[in-house]
Amino acid sequence: MKQTKKMMVNNSFFLALLFVILSVFFNSVGAEESGKTEGDVSRGAVSWSQNCSRCHEMRDPTEFRDDLWKPIVTHMRIRAGLTGQQQRDILAFLQASNNPRPVKVATTARSQPSESAISGKEIYDQTCVACHGTDGKGVLPGAPDFTKAGGRLSKSDEVLIQHISDGFQSSGSPMAMPAKGGNPDLTDADIRAVLKYLHESFGQ
Amino acid sequence: MKHSINHYKQSLLACVIALSFPLNAIADEGYDALKAQVDALQKQLQEVKETLKQYKTKSATKQEVEKLKQDVATASTEAAEWKSTDSIVHLAGYGDATYSDAEDTNAAFSGARFNPIFHYQYKDILLLESELEFEIGEDGGTEVALEYLAIDYLLNDYLTVIGGKFLSPLGQFRQNFHPSWINKLPTAPPGFGHDQAAPNAEIGLQARGGFPIGSNSMYANYAVYVGNGPILEIVGDEIEEINTGGRTSNDDDKFVFGGRIGFLPIPMLEIGFSGATGKVAGESEPDITRDYDVYGVDFAFNRNNLRLRGEYIMQDVGANTSSAAPESASWDAWFTQVSYRFLPTAFEGVVRYSDYDSPHNSEDQKQWALGVNYLFSSNAMAKFAYNFNDGENGSVTDNSGFQLQLSYGF
Repeated sequence: MKQTKKMMVNNSFFLALLFVILSVFFNSVGAEESGKTEGDVSRGAVSWSQNCSRCHEMRDPTEFRDDLWKPIVTHMRIRAGLTGQQQRDILAFLQASNNPRPVKVATTARSQPSESAISGKEIYDQTCVACHGTDGKGVLPGAPDFTKAGGRLSKSDEVLIQHISDGFQSSGSPMAMPAKGGNPDLTDADIRAVLKYLHESFGQ
Repeated sequence: MKHSINHYKQSLLACVIALSFPLNAIADEGYDALKAQVDALQKQLQEVKETLKQYKTKSATKQEVEKLKQDVATASTEAAEWKSTDSIVHLAGYGDATYSDAEDTNAAFSGARFNPIFHYQYKDILLLESELEFEIGEDGGTEVALEYLAIDYLLNDYLTVIGGKFLSPLGQFRQNFHPSWINKLPTAPPGFGHDQAAPNAEIGLQARGGFPIGSNSMYANYAVYVGNGPILEIVGDEIEEINTGGRTSNDDDKFVFGGRIGFLPIPMLEIGFSGATGKVAGESEPDITRDYDVYGVDFAFNRNNLRLRGEYIMQDVGANTSSAAPESASWDAWFTQVSYRFLPTAFEGVVRYSDYDSPHNSEDQKQWALGVNYLFSSNAMAKFAYNFNDGENGSVTDNSGFQLQLSYGF
C-alpha cells in the first residue's frame, strides 16, 4: 500500500514537472514574439520546398482547395516539427499557388510600373530560389538546370516570360511551377527583371 | 415681214430645243446620284434598325444589371464562407494492394489495406487527427485497428500538446515513413514492423514542436512524451514479444518517459536522436517490473532526385530474477535506404539494407531489398521489389521473394 502511494506520487511528480518545464520554457520563447505574423508567400515557398520532401514526394499545390490545405498543413506542422510561422508561410504559399489559370478578359489595362521596385536578384531570392536553388541548378525533382547549355534559358524571352507569368510544367516533371512562382504580387516589370537576372547569372 | 417673223420663231424654237437637251442630261445625272445616296442611306438606316433591334433583344436593362450585381455578390459571399468557418473537416489517408511470391510459399494476392485519416480543426487552436486501419486478414476477415487518435492543442508557435493515442515519436520510420504511399518499398524494414524493435504507438501525453536555431535557416524539432509504456508477453521462461501498440492500462503502475530531438544543420538534412526510459512488466506478472530503455538515431537527406534515409533503434528490457523469464532481452534494428528518381521518366530505383536482431534467432533477419517504382503521381505508385532475405534456415525470415504493390495516398 505504501509502495503504491509512493509510485503514484512519483508518477504525478514527473508528469507535473515535465509540463511545468515545457510550459515555462516555450511560453517564454513565445512571449518574445510580439505577435503572430501573417503567412508570407515567399518564405512559404522556401519552407515548402525544404521541409515537405524530407518525408514524401512534393504534393502539387493544385491538389487541394484553400480550405482543405489548412488542416493538412496543420497536421504536417505537428508531424514534421515545424514552427507556427513556417506553417502559416507554407499555407500562404499553397493557397496562392493553387489557383487555376486566370480567364483572360478584355478590361482596361491596369497601369503597371515600367521598372521593378527591387532587383532581379532580390526577386529570385524571394520567389524562385526555393525550387531553383541559389546556383540555378534546381533543388526539387523536375526543376530545370538553368546553367545547362541549350537548356531552359535558350528559349526566347517571350516564351520564358509567358512561362513565368502563367506557370509551366516541363515534360516529365512531377509538378508544375505555379503562375509567377506562386507570388501573385509580381508585376510584369518584376518578371522582366528576374529574367534578366537569370540570363546574367546562369545563362551560357 | 410675216415670213421673217415665222422664221424668227422657228429659229427661236430650234434654239430652245437645242439648249434643252443638255439640261435634261444634267438633270438625269443629279437624280441618279441622289437616288443612289438615298438608297445607301436607307440601307444604313435598315442596318441601324437591325442593330438597335438586336441591342434591345440582347442587352441587359438597368434592372437586370442590378440583379446580376446582387447575384455576383451573393455568390461571392457564399464562396467565401469557408474563410469564416471555425471548424474544418478533412479526410485524408492511404490504401494499398499487394501481390507476393516467395521461394517457399505460394504466390498470392497477399494484402489489401485501407487507412482513412480524419482531420477536424477548430480555428488555429485544436486539431483532432485519427487514423483507422482496415486490413484483410489471412482468413478473409477484416481486421480493424485504431492507429492513432490524438487531440492536438496548438499552444503557441513552438509547442503543441497532444493527448490520446499517438504514433511513437521515437525514430522516424514508424511516425513518418511507414504509410505505403510514402514508403518506397512494399514492406517495412525488418525490425520496424509491429511489435518488433521500433516502438509503434503510445497512449499518453506528448509535447512537440520546432524552433529556429540562430538566424541561418537552421532548425530543430523535438517531441517528449509520457505514456503507459509497453507490456511483455512471457511464454515459458522466455520473453516472447514486446507489445508497443499502446494500451489503456498501466499494469506495472510506472509511466515511460521519452522523446526525440531532431537537428537540421542544412535544410535538406535532418539528424534525430531518440531515447526513452521507464519500467515494464509481463502481462502475466504485472508486479514484477524491470527496466525499459530505448535508444535511437536516424537521418534523412534529399536533394533533387536523390533520397537517403537511415535509422537505428533498440529496445532493451532488464533482467529480473523474480520473473518466470529472468533474463534481459533486447530488440535492435537498423536500415539504410537510397532511392533515385529517373526524371523525366516516372521510374524510381530503390535499394535498402536492413538488419534486425531479436531475442529469438528465428526472428533475426538481414535483408537486401531492391525495388523499381513507377510513380503515376506524387501520391500514387506501383512498386515492384525483390527481398533477398537471410534468416534462420527453414524459418520465414529466410524466405526470399518479390512483391508487387499499388499504393495511393489521398
